[in-house]
Amino acid sequence: MAIVAQSSKFSTYGRPVLAWGIGLLFFFPIFWMVVTSFKTDADAVKPEHLIFFSPTLDNYLNMTDNYDYWRFARNSIITAVSATIFTLFVGVPAAYAMAFNPSRATKDVLMWMLSTKMLPAAAVLYPMIFLAKGIGLYDTHILIITVLSLINLPIAIWMLFTYFKEIPKDIIEAGKMDGVNTWGEIKEILIPLAWGGIASTALLVFIFCWNEAYWTVRLTTIDAATLSKLIEGNRAPEGLFFGRLSAVSTAAVGPIVILGWFCQKQLVQGLTFGAVK
Amino acid sequence: MSDRKLPRLLQTPAVLLLLVWMLIPLGMTLYFSFIRYVLNNLRRPEWTSPSPSNWRGFGNYEFVLKSKDFFLAIQNSLFIVCSILFLTVILGILIAVLINKTFPGQGIVRVLLISPFFVMPAVNAVLWINMILDPVLGLQGIAIAGINDVLDGLRQIPILGAFFSLWPEFEPISFRATQTSAIAVIMMVTWQWTPFAVLIFMTSLQSEDQQQKEAAVLDGANTWSQFRFLTLPHLGRPIAIVVMIQAIFHLSLYAEIEIVSRGNGNKNLPYLIGEFANNNIGAASATGIFAVILANIVAIFLLRMVGKTLME
Repeated sequence: MAIVAQSSKFSTYGRPVLAWGIGLLFFFPIFWMVVTSFKTDADAVKPEHLIFFSPTLDNYLNMTDNYDYWRFARNSIITAVSATIFTLFVGVPAAYAMAFNPSRATKDVLMWMLSTKMLPAAAVLYPMIFLAKGIGLYDTHILIITVLSLINLPIAIWMLFTYFKEIPKDIIEAGKMDGVNTWGEIKEILIPLAWGGIASTALLVFIFCWNEAYWTVRLTTIDAATLSKLIEGNRAPEGLFFGRLSAVSTAAVGPIVILGWFCQKQLVQGLTFGAVK
Repeated sequence: MSDRKLPRLLQTPAVLLLLVWMLIPLGMTLYFSFIRYVLNNLRRPEWTSPSPSNWRGFGNYEFVLKSKDFFLAIQNSLFIVCSILFLTVILGILIAVLINKTFPGQGIVRVLLISPFFVMPAVNAVLWINMILDPVLGLQGIAIAGINDVLDGLRQIPILGAFFSLWPEFEPISFRATQTSAIAVIMMVTWQWTPFAVLIFMTSLQSEDQQQKEAAVLDGANTWSQFRFLTLPHLGRPIAIVVMIQAIFHLSLYAEIEIVSRGNGNKNLPYLIGEFANNNIGAASATGIFAVILANIVAIFLLRMVGKTLME
């Protein structure tokens, strides 16, 4: 029984210490970014102020002057929220159709949708710029909302489909008996029943839209530029602005990280299409 | 309208949107890949706008295949994706097994661990390459300067100093350089995606058959063989899914590569396309078609592997 005794010793001391160590290690870069955001730009690069420094809120108070933060944040909010709504608006009926009225082609359609995610964005970048400029939509909210919706639609439909599949068909059928039409089915039966699934799909789509850094950077210049574009534009500050750059980064990721904490369980189900439970 | 027709029609908007989204730009890419199309050319102004009269046949493809960067980019794409997959899966399994049992503060450790996954890629890259990895101002530079200071101090000690003076000074590594920029990208993406693997493996471990494990213990199976013959097979499906989803995301990695070194020594296919697209649209489009072919090979392979488990 020596092994058992040993393993229980590991469980009481070794496991917590190791687990906490790894957890703190993974969190450290974020922690460091937050700490740096309270240093002045000069203090941020001085080794003697690595740990001891006088904290200041200046970096946050000057975000508008330094980076015009709120203009980019406003664009991020407008595009991510609208794209999430539009994705659900198209995705919920589609997933409803596939979950409750499947045809022989449904599986293939779902697989095909997933495969559109594998189309490399770079391959169609120039045609997109060409088209967008041609119809005068380059650097507009409408363009970014459309693109964000389309790149997230496959994952949203998959997620919704896996949630809807769990709802017993009988409940929907019962609605039919009562003479409820299709819209009524969706609005009065499906949406209330699958509210949790729809909400976590929305949350995940929102996070992906917020963090998107390919199309939002390449299809905008000023008017519709999002936070990703702002950060990428300051990629190499050569150490002069670590403080203010940390503040603007913290402001850009903080809300999303906290949002993520609350939806980690749904994230697993969503991202694995219900295949891991 | 019959009972099932309307409900089925509800999927058409989604299908049509995705079809248009896929076919129109892809069709244009295919067309551009067969013509001469350069944005800035003073001597041949007719090439600066797309027209069938500038037909070039497979000339753009030949041009791309002959450029040295192309094969380096494919090699680099695969190197980056495979390294990240290998690291995240191994780390993910180890960490998931470690934190799967209850211990004080398990919930907080989970929250700490998952956080990197939600950081936007642009912030991730700017944070790592500047504040952590910079050879002078980042934590790496500060740490190495500190170690060198300590060594200098030790060298001043009378007799022992002779021993320490045999030690070399440590040199900080520049992660924006040609040889190291891929390593920096792999590091920061692994940091971001290991939490994702941990989360999925942990969820899967919670549904592991405990009775089977107890039976194995009674039969005298040690920890390693329990892991090898029970836990690992149980994780087969989640591993396949983690690999598939990450392959989708990492084949089109861009922001990190742009921010770390602007592609210096570390171009992947999307980055190479972006570079061509600054001027030579024909070549960019031909490279794009190659990227689509590569993605399709990977996709067929992955969907075969995972597709069945998704559909049950």
